[in-house]
Amino acid sequence: MKTDDLIRALAADTLPEADLSGRMWLVLVPALAVALAALWLTLGFRADLAQAFGNPVSLMRWMLTGALALVSMRIALVLARPEGHGSVRLWPLAVVAGGALAMLIWAYATTPAEGRQMATVGKTMWTCLVAIPVLSVLPVGGLFWALRRGATSVPALSGAVIGLAGSGAAAAVYAAHCIEDSPLFYVVWYSLAIIGVTIVSAVIGVRILRW
Amino acid sequence: MLRGLVRARGASLGEAGCEDVVQEVLLAIHLKRHTWDQAAPVRPWLYAIARYKVVDAFRARGRRIDLPIEDFVEVLPAAPDRDPTEAADMAKMIGMLDGRSETIVRKIGLEGASMAETGAALSMSEGAVRVALHRALKTLAVLRERHIE
Repeated sequence: MKTDDLIRALAADTLPEADLSGRMWLVLVPALAVALAALWLTLGFRADLAQAFGNPVSLMRWMLTGALALVSMRIALVLARPEGHGSVRLWPLAVVAGGALAMLIWAYATTPAEGRQMATVGKTMWTCLVAIPVLSVLPVGGLFWALRRGATSVPALSGAVIGLAGSGAAAAVYAAHCIEDSPLFYVVWYSLAIIGVTIVSAVIGVRILRW
Repeated sequence: MLRGLVRARGASLGEAGCEDVVQEVLLAIHLKRHTWDQAAPVRPWLYAIARYKVVDAFRARGRRIDLPIEDFVEVLPAAPDRDPTEAADMAKMIGMLDGRSETIVRKIGLEGASMAETGAALSMSEGAVRVALHRALKTLAVLRERHIE
């Protein structure tokens, strides 16, 4: 086929594509709504949810996971452009991680020594480690669906950032059930669950974000 | 400009191989045009797409060894003159489309038919032809991806 013929066929196609951030929100909002409903129907919300919002230490769970999700989504959108990895700034992720680490250190310092191990292990470690990845499936899948239309030149990194965004949002959803308010618990186990989802997403990204 | 860029980066792909890549890049530019941020300069975006596709081409052809034709110039009869913008891969990919999509791409691209003419020939509405062409071009990119594997 001659190149000019190809150009003619391409030029004839004038249908526009929806922009990526629009697609992303379009799929993320219902995905999170379903995740929230699923959590409510299976594990239920914590009884003192309203009070938890008033407790700054507990509130930080939503602040940190929400910030992680929003920051990662912005980065994922930049990385979805072919030249994006040259101009992307990853330091906001470090700020969120630093915030989580600061909470952890603060909690370690303020929890009496004999209570530390109990606060860290908590009572719901396994629920947390299973529920967050399960709740991540829809948001992460939705983000992959939306950003497959993008054109990343770093599929593994893009996949990892999508994993961070989706599992960060899922962790914020899970926090509505989770009764463990100690940063010793939530920074450790939420992070572990999020890192697991992120690694899997990086592997998926290599496979499906190629174009 | 694009052809120059691809040839400079992918000199060892040979002239025909380069033209294949040029066509792939054009298709990618078209299908991924919404990823260009209109506030950003267009050149880095174009270069990034071209570089990605050239790297892809090298990876895909990595297993094959292309012997440079110059080594055989003395023993081979002169090759018939061919159009330097003719490339084989895209035509192969178009052949792999389903019948109607193939007809639409051929009519509009190779024969230069308009949307309305193509629609009349296939008894489809103009809007349906538009959508079918759009889908066919996306399918081409997917086929290309699978073909490389």
